[in-house]
Amino acid sequence: MNDDPVIRTVGLCKRYGGKLAIDHLDLEIARGSIHAIVGANGAGKSTLFRILLGFLPASSGEAFILGRDCRSLTPADRERIGFVNEEHTLPGWMSVDAVTAMQRRQYRHWNQDAFDETIGHYNVIGTQKVSQLSRGERAGFNLALTLAQQPELLVFDEPTLGLDVVAKRAFLETLLYSNATRNCTVVYCSHQMEEIERVADNLIIMERGALRNMSPPDDFRSRVAHWVADIPFRGPDLRLVPGLLEAQRLDGLYHYLVLDQGEAFADFLHACGARDIHHLPVSLDRAVNGFLAKHHATPRAA
Amino acid sequence: MRDLLKAEWQRYRTWVLLYALAHLLVLAFFMRIADLGQQPLNVRRLFGAGYLVTGLLLGLHQMGTWRRPNQWLNLLHRPVAPRRIALALFAAGGLALLVAVVLPLFLAVAWQAFGSARIVDLRHVLLPIGAEWVALCAYFVGVYGMLADRHYSASALVLLLWIVLARASGPAALAVQAVATAIAFAMAMVAFRPDLGAPPRSVLATCLVAVPLQVAVYTLILVAGFVVEMGWIMLGTHPGNMPVPPAGGVTEIVRLSPRDRMLAGLKDATSPEAPLWREQVALSEVRTLERAVAPTTHRQDMSNGSPMAFDDSDARIQWTFSHDRMRYEGTSVVTGLHVGELGVGANDAPFPAVATPAPNLGHPEKSDTIIVAGNTLYRYIASTKRIVPRLALPAGEHLLTTSAIGGSVAVLGDRALYFYDSRHLLNGDMPAPRQRLAIPGHNGDLGTIEVVELVDGYLISFAFTAQAHDMRGASPFQSVWRVDDQGHTTLVATRTLMADYPPVYRYRAWWPSPAIHALREASVGLFATDDPQDDNDTPPIPSSVRTLAFMLMGASFLVGLWLASRRTMSVRTRLAWAFVCGIVGVPAVACLWLMLPAAEPEPGPRTEPAHA
Repeated sequence: MNDDPVIRTVGLCKRYGGKLAIDHLDLEIARGSIHAIVGANGAGKSTLFRILLGFLPASSGEAFILGRDCRSLTPADRERIGFVNEEHTLPGWMSVDAVTAMQRRQYRHWNQDAFDETIGHYNVIGTQKVSQLSRGERAGFNLALTLAQQPELLVFDEPTLGLDVVAKRAFLETLLYSNATRNCTVVYCSHQMEEIERVADNLIIMERGALRNMSPPDDFRSRVAHWVADIPFRGPDLRLVPGLLEAQRLDGLYHYLVLDQGEAFADFLHACGARDIHHLPVSLDRAVNGFLAKHHATPRAA
Repeated sequence: MRDLLKAEWQRYRTWVLLYALAHLLVLAFFMRIADLGQQPLNVRRLFGAGYLVTGLLLGLHQMGTWRRPNQWLNLLHRPVAPRRIALALFAAGGLALLVAVVLPLFLAVAWQAFGSARIVDLRHVLLPIGAEWVALCAYFVGVYGMLADRHYSASALVLLLWIVLARASGPAALAVQAVATAIAFAMAMVAFRPDLGAPPRSVLATCLVAVPLQVAVYTLILVAGFVVEMGWIMLGTHPGNMPVPPAGGVTEIVRLSPRDRMLAGLKDATSPEAPLWREQVALSEVRTLERAVAPTTHRQDMSNGSPMAFDDSDARIQWTFSHDRMRYEGTSVVTGLHVGELGVGANDAPFPAVATPAPNLGHPEKSDTIIVAGNTLYRYIASTKRIVPRLALPAGEHLLTTSAIGGSVAVLGDRALYFYDSRHLLNGDMPAPRQRLAIPGHNGDLGTIEVVELVDGYLISFAFTAQAHDMRGASPFQSVWRVDDQGHTTLVATRTLMADYPPVYRYRAWWPSPAIHALREASVGLFATDDPQDDNDTPPIPSSVRTLAFMLMGASFLVGLWLASRRTMSVRTRLAWAFVCGIVGVPAVACLWLMLPAAEPEPGPRTEPAHA
């Protein structure tokens, strides 16, 4: 196994009319472990995947997946890349057995044990039509098909979207505890922070088509702090609050969510007249949401 | 690939079988009430349109469901080359059409051949193949329409237009349909790629997309011209629609009664006998010979341009011409059984050309029938059930129409007008013509012929107006001739007619793009047999129209160069596009604009959010 990144983009741009969906993206995703990509709607995640899989031409820049130029992927390259999308698009008119048999014949490294292990978590009967499966069962079937392909790189694009809590948990646990994922790199894109928190070794945050963060989730969470200050008079001008992501006044107390501010922030609050100061830990969900909400478009009156 | 084919077939199987059953029932119904093998062109067109729409809808539906982003990704992101996936899906589509369209047709032909006394020729066996080509071509057009860039994906429709307009008939028509299908298939293969809508990369792929697109733009220009013409008609100044047509023009001469048309032709006659002829025309019956509207029927033509059967009402037999046997096959109207074969003469020899019944020439026996085949006119004698030749034009000439005029029969060939004594004709003497008058122009330009019987011959007016509204036709004129009883011919008067329509209208198919016009003419005539009725004396293109075309080509070159400079391409490619724009004209400019998006502006430096 080489150390080349599984995904590499250099100055990648994709323009839709006047809008940049991918904005000079320089990204390197190392081989191994689970990488989560998060971002608000329109951050460019799906566009990035489509470019990486050769389904959308880039406006400029370069993109490589498993060391291959995305514009010239061969069938053999595609065999090494598993992809699961949120719709779990499978031929609804075919039976589970027929789809499985077709996939088995197409993928040279098909692992029947991995398939059986994964599909065993779901109440799926081989003679059932795919269209008769529940959304959760279809997701599980799709996961089983993808894992059985033994890909080097597994890309999940919001795979649990629309699943209920039980199906979501079943999907994640199947993914996490499957032997089939041991030797592959997983790129997991989701809006569900609790999922990211459970599965991700590396957190990639995209915003407006650009890379904003790449670090382990705990490292990112430690960059965001929640400070609560009791300031008897007016709080500081928000424009002067360093690293401010979010500010609120609740029950007479000032709440500040700030990025990359150490203990020096307490000195800033004291200087602003704070009498009592508390420093609270934040969840990954809160940290990411605050980070992304900072530049989210809001109505002018808000 | 086999798995995908099987999967896709499974997807449509139920619907295809239901369609095939419904198709078979429709055919069975129509076969009960008519002989589907002997239908005219319009019936064939109706069925063809049904198969065309079937193929088109299948292609649109099949690819419409696959082309949604996630479906497309799921379909193509697998260890199978896109072209193999395409072949599998197309094979499934082809198989569906084979079962839904071809199989019921073959069953219908088989029933005709083995379950009835109706004629089944090679042309009938070829019909299902033609239906498959039409449906398959439409299917690929639908595939392309769904997968190609939406700015030009409808351009493949020109291939269907080509099939409709192609002049080739019989097996040659199948060849044209096969070529159109092959092109549509290649276009569908070019469009079938992961990055849908991206411009083609290779030169061949570019040509496969660009040429139909340019023809489509050219067609749209013609349609726009038609819309302008509608406006012209609404204004009330269109020559063909004016209450009083322009004096001395084609429209006026066409609208005149045969008598007035003859008199108009004599207006400038300077012969001393002219006043007498005018008086005679005013008092005599003026007979009109019109060119046949239907094209000449060729052997194994898929449809009947003219009726292929006639009835012997006394013997209760319907005689139907067999293209395979080149003889008539008889079917009893009473029992529906085969009652024999009818050829030429006592030994029932095959006809030298496809035979069609002709108008009655006043023969005494009501069940007798006049038949025309090639250059020969035959008579079916009901009493003896024999077909005997009655007159023959010189070899190589086509007999187009006949008309009884007094005691004579006027016979129009594609080179001359002949007069025969009808008594000799009925007696079976194979007479020589009493008079022959060479057509003073080209047959394809001939509008009407008026004949007035004089005391010592005939006065004949030829109006060459058939294609006067079009660039193919000769400059319109009227020519009046006199033929005397000794066969001497004299030009009485020639009158030049106004074309009514300005050159910019008559040459509307040429000046927008002479290159595509040439391509159109070549493709429409591909594999077609020359039709003697299409022989025109096409005049040279006027210099004003040439100047207009060259100006458009020059402007197209400059606009093409400018458009190419705004697109991401090499200097060589840029020059090639400009050159093509210069040669092809406006359609190529539109093609360049639609096919290749303008280069996107270089993205500016990224704007970093404050917190990053």
